[in-house]
Amino acid sequence: MNRFNPEFEQALARRRFIQAAAGGTVIMALGSLYVLSDDLTREAKAQTRNDGRPRLPPGQRVIEALKPMGGEPGDPSPGNYRLRVHGEVDAPFELGFAELLALPQIEQALDVHCVTTWSVLGAKWQGVRVADLAERAKLKKSARYVIFEAAHGYTSNVALRDALKPSVMVAHRLNGTPLARAHGAPVRAVLPEFYFWKSAKWLTGIRFSSHDEPGYWETRGYSNHADPWKEERYA
Amino acid sequence: MPDGAVQPRVRTERRRKLNFRPWLRALHRDIGYFAVGLTVVYATSGLAVNHLKDWDPNFKQVNRTHQLGLPLPTDDAAAAKSALAALDVREAPREVYRASDTQLDLVFDKRTFHVDTKSGVVHEEGQAARPLLRVANWLHLNRGKKAWSYVADFYAVFLLFLAFSGLFMIPGRKGLLGRGAIVGLLGAAVPIVYVLLSGGP
Repeated sequence: MNRFNPEFEQALARRRFIQAAAGGTVIMALGSLYVLSDDLTREAKAQTRNDGRPRLPPGQRVIEALKPMGGEPGDPSPGNYRLRVHGEVDAPFELGFAELLALPQIEQALDVHCVTTWSVLGAKWQGVRVADLAERAKLKKSARYVIFEAAHGYTSNVALRDALKPSVMVAHRLNGTPLARAHGAPVRAVLPEFYFWKSAKWLTGIRFSSHDEPGYWETRGYSNHADPWKEERYA
Repeated sequence: MPDGAVQPRVRTERRRKLNFRPWLRALHRDIGYFAVGLTVVYATSGLAVNHLKDWDPNFKQVNRTHQLGLPLPTDDAAAAKSALAALDVREAPREVYRASDTQLDLVFDKRTFHVDTKSGVVHEEGQAARPLLRVANWLHLNRGKKAWSYVADFYAVFLLFLAFSGLFMIPGRKGLLGRGAIVGLLGAAVPIVYVLLSGGP
């Protein structure tokens, strides 16, 4: 065949295009495999929790540090901070930041799972158990749900039995340093058994309620229960 | 032939009366111009927020660690002054807060210095707003509420008008009777196929 034949040139150009496209596809596929098979995720997938569930919920990928996920920031000032514990309780109260720090403190290594598919494992959170705050507020028998209230009207809701688990806390330090503004300084809720939007940042109140009140994301199409192990991401 | 000369004029007048396309094109054009600004806001913010897990579309994060010389003054105000001088910060803090025996917080509008008065280690953290994107996201997510809800509703109606008027702008084989129908059906098939393949909500 004549090398300068236009049909030959056209076939050659088409072949080059197909080769380039195939090469690009292979590179992208290998890149995706690399992303999917990172070591942290692989190790976490091999681990099991004490309750028998896998350490890493389905559809999650492990990253090293929390990502700031936005939201309208609250006032980061510890001097202005007030935490109101109220609702279906006999002894409602308010705490300033110093008063919160004066309560019995715990430090727990917890795994947290964001609905956008990242997880951070074993981060050390310091703060106060919600169960301790509930005990001080003296819950009425009518209390069935807990509504976490935060800056600019943000709320998240969980059943009382879930909020009183020992792992659930209000935290003011993360990995040994004060909570950063991007993560809800000075105080946020941490509920490790649920997708992370339940862990309200810039926490201002804990309200005990006789009835369930779906919160900010729960009324915008996200799951009311939000169990990561059941992949309850959306309603 | 007398009637042979009259008939075509009647048909032309009828056709002129039914020709809605110039009006449709003019409306489509002007509403399109009007919607440009809002489309830029919603599209840019949509791209930014859609990739929320990869980046913070509203703020740039600041996280630095500094080391101060010791000892620091025992008085909080004097310790704050000394720390800020060492850090070359000339702005006055909004608040100096003694969080614990070893932690002094110096709070500014956009950042906080957490000073460990015992070790001299300072964690500086804060966030600076991405100027245009933060405003676009604020509008897109309708955080301001109130009147913006009406603007967003009108914009949605305008988009529907642009979509449907676009279907009828061109007559013939490149319009709804030919290529337009094929491309339109392909576009409509995208969400349908996605829902079918993904299993839907």
